[in-house]
Amino acid sequence: MPPADPRAGAIYDLGYRAYDGPRLGRRAAVLSLYVFTLRAAFGIGRRPAAKVVPVLVTAFAFIPALIQLGVAALIGSRVEVVAPWNYLGFSEVPVALFCAGAAPEVFGRDLRYRTLALYFSRPLRRQDYALAKSAAFITALAVPTLGPLLLLVIGNGLASEDVPGYLAGHWRELPQSLAAGLLIAAVAGLGSLAIAVHAPRRAHATAAIAAWFLLTLPVAAIIVEVGGGAGRYAAWFSPFDLLYGAALAIFGREPGADSIQGAAGLPIATYLLLALLHAAAALALILRRFQRVQA
Amino acid sequence: MNFPVARLTARMLLGQRRTLLVVLLALLPVGIALLFRLAAPADADPERFTARTLLGGMLTGTILPLVSLVFATGAFGQDIEDGTAVYLLATPVPRRDIVVARVAVAWLAAAALLVPAALTAGAIAIQGGDPGIVAGFAAAIAAGSLVYTIVFTWLSIATSRALVAGLLYAFLWEGALSGLFSGIRFLSIRQYTAGIAGTFFDLPASVYQPRLDPLPALVLAAAVGAVFLLLAVRRLERWETGEAA
Amino acid sequence: MSDSPAPAIELRAVSRWYGNVVAVNDVSFEVGPGITGLLGPNGAGKSTILHMMAGLLRPSAGEVRILGQPAWRNPAIYRSVGLVPEREAVYGFLSGREFVELAARLHRLPDPARAAARAIDLVEMGSAASRPCGGYSKGMKQRIKIAAALVHDPQVLVLDEPFNGADPRQRLHLMDLFRSMAAEGRTILYSSHILEEVERIADTVLVIVAGRLAASGDYRSIRALMTDRPHTFIVRSSNDRALAARLLDEPAIHGLAFEDGRLEVRARELLAAARALPAAARAAGVTLYEVRPTDESLESVFSYLVRR
Repeated sequence: MPPADPRAGAIYDLGYRAYDGPRLGRRAAVLSLYVFTLRAAFGIGRRPAAKVVPVLVTAFAFIPALIQLGVAALIGSRVEVVAPWNYLGFSEVPVALFCAGAAPEVFGRDLRYRTLALYFSRPLRRQDYALAKSAAFITALAVPTLGPLLLLVIGNGLASEDVPGYLAGHWRELPQSLAAGLLIAAVAGLGSLAIAVHAPRRAHATAAIAAWFLLTLPVAAIIVEVGGGAGRYAAWFSPFDLLYGAALAIFGREPGADSIQGAAGLPIATYLLLALLHAAAALALILRRFQRVQA
Repeated sequence: MNFPVARLTARMLLGQRRTLLVVLLALLPVGIALLFRLAAPADADPERFTARTLLGGMLTGTILPLVSLVFATGAFGQDIEDGTAVYLLATPVPRRDIVVARVAVAWLAAAALLVPAALTAGAIAIQGGDPGIVAGFAAAIAAGSLVYTIVFTWLSIATSRALVAGLLYAFLWEGALSGLFSGIRFLSIRQYTAGIAGTFFDLPASVYQPRLDPLPALVLAAAVGAVFLLLAVRRLERWETGEAA
Repeated sequence: MSDSPAPAIELRAVSRWYGNVVAVNDVSFEVGPGITGLLGPNGAGKSTILHMMAGLLRPSAGEVRILGQPAWRNPAIYRSVGLVPEREAVYGFLSGREFVELAARLHRLPDPARAAARAIDLVEMGSAASRPCGGYSKGMKQRIKIAAALVHDPQVLVLDEPFNGADPRQRLHLMDLFRSMAAEGRTILYSSHILEEVERIADTVLVIVAGRLAASGDYRSIRALMTDRPHTFIVRSSNDRALAARLLDEPAIHGLAFEDGRLEVRARELLAAARALPAAARAAGVTLYEVRPTDESLESVFSYLVRR
């Protein structure tokens, strides 16, 4: 009802009450952010067009493993062409495209539409936000990087005539695959996110991530081939060559003579060490960005 | 050809920060060629390196599609994403002229970068080998960048995620899958480019062997270019403003 | 063109749906010269209708015609149509003058520079025209977009929320501009969800609610049609209570009340009440000082239509 004198100010009690019950707090906020980002990476809860690229690319990452298992099952051949330790050599293009397509979406919307203030006005801290989203993206990326390795290990085991005997000889491959798949997801994922948070537009981030993965491959190969003594260090600077080397180190394999790691002749443990360093540096870049960004 | 549209497109491309990155990308093969010239092992074969690794591998396989993709999406995708495309479309300019002007500018930009890059890098690396290799790849890149630009322009009009779709095409279809299914060579702009380059030189199959003969490569390239140009015009004539319901 | 019988804008049974969401539902109307306001709450389908008029959306059913020509897939209509889209984006790297000149060139005007200068003067952007559009304020972007739409002197001007971001002075200026264009016989159609913008300058109102045309015409005549809702007047006279007592005998009068010491009269029918009031005043020997309708503003019309 309007007051008698329309110029007199008044505040009406509409019956709103403040919430003073228990609140879920920081941990629940982190968890829901993690789940939300993980779903969004595969386009779950988004329009159908957003699902096409992640699903297609993930499917392609599984194809070499399926071919290997299928051929082994049909022909009964024990020739192991596609193995957990060399799998990245077959899946690098789908993995790169997964990162190029999905990584710009992880932080991109919040940075572009300046919605960060809505998060930071909650119990969530800045590093919580960055860590929860990064962890979710690494988890999403683990589907194409770790999934096919597990499929291969388990499939090979089930396909062998002597399952206990196979297990006795190959049980190490399971923890090794876990370590390699997660390492690939962490390094590739954090690296992509570090690029994405520094790119002003989604298109720039996509192009930069694709170039970081796919352009460095031929360039490093050429430099190692022709660059001589100093050129061999180029193998450290292409992310997939680095990760391939790290996977070799995890599985305790020696590089083949025709591989870039074999040509470079660098100690194989250095790849593992540098990959871990890479992930740490990328994470530091992401955290720094969100320490500084204006919410 | 509509000159106001062409001029606007050129200014859009020149004003974007990504253009600087693309220029760096085009300089990469020149740097690699210099490295090869200075540090290559004595047993290296310059013709093999130039045809197979430098021009046929890195430049046509990776840099050519990337540069064409960035320019094609920079010309059209950006305009549509920002909502500024309306200022061109709500005019009596026929949509065909808009597509042709944009394709022409994006192609000229890509070719103006890539052809000199191919010529320079090739001239540095070839070291007295058959100069037809360098000329052939330069000509083939000029043609290939046109086909790529047309296809990626169509993608920019047809989808809102042209960049990712273009990467999928260039790296998954033309790259990873074409190794498994050799029939893909008939549907691969990279193979058309290699086939056209093959007209200009004659190298033993162990050194460099395009997977398509020159004539089918040229015919297919022309057909794909023409079809996708028509599709792009058709798509733009039926273009609807993207609006959430 | 003026003697052509085709209406400037014509919608015939137009619907538009996105998937299974109906944005515009079987809308038909004609718009002639003058200023027409397309009014509706956010999400009612105003932008969808404007985009269909501008040939940027295909009607799912029905037909949109501009000056007798179909709007969809017919770039020729843009010779006589100017469009001001709602989105703020302009080519940030162009100066205001370059932006308007670009529009002039795209229309193949014989003297683009002069046409651009004229359009820029119309929206009073001369002083900022050499600065890049990227640095403009919201209102300036809005005005430079209007200049670009006016550069070819169109017969039909379609504007989506044109007053967004304009300050009150610019708003008045734009309203004057539209009025003078309407006086030249042009058709101006603009959308708004702000009532006073429409009430002040629109000759005709189209009210869109939930994708359907809820009302059209002069807003006073729309109001007159709403017979199930009584008209209310505030009456001031030399003796309110004597007048009230006399009014009770009038069958045209539906109700009486004293609100804040003023006499409020309610009636079902406007004309009958208009006859009854002076008759009652004369009979009661009371002098009428003021008879003022209380709810004739567009807002009350609008909220009535939206709620129904």
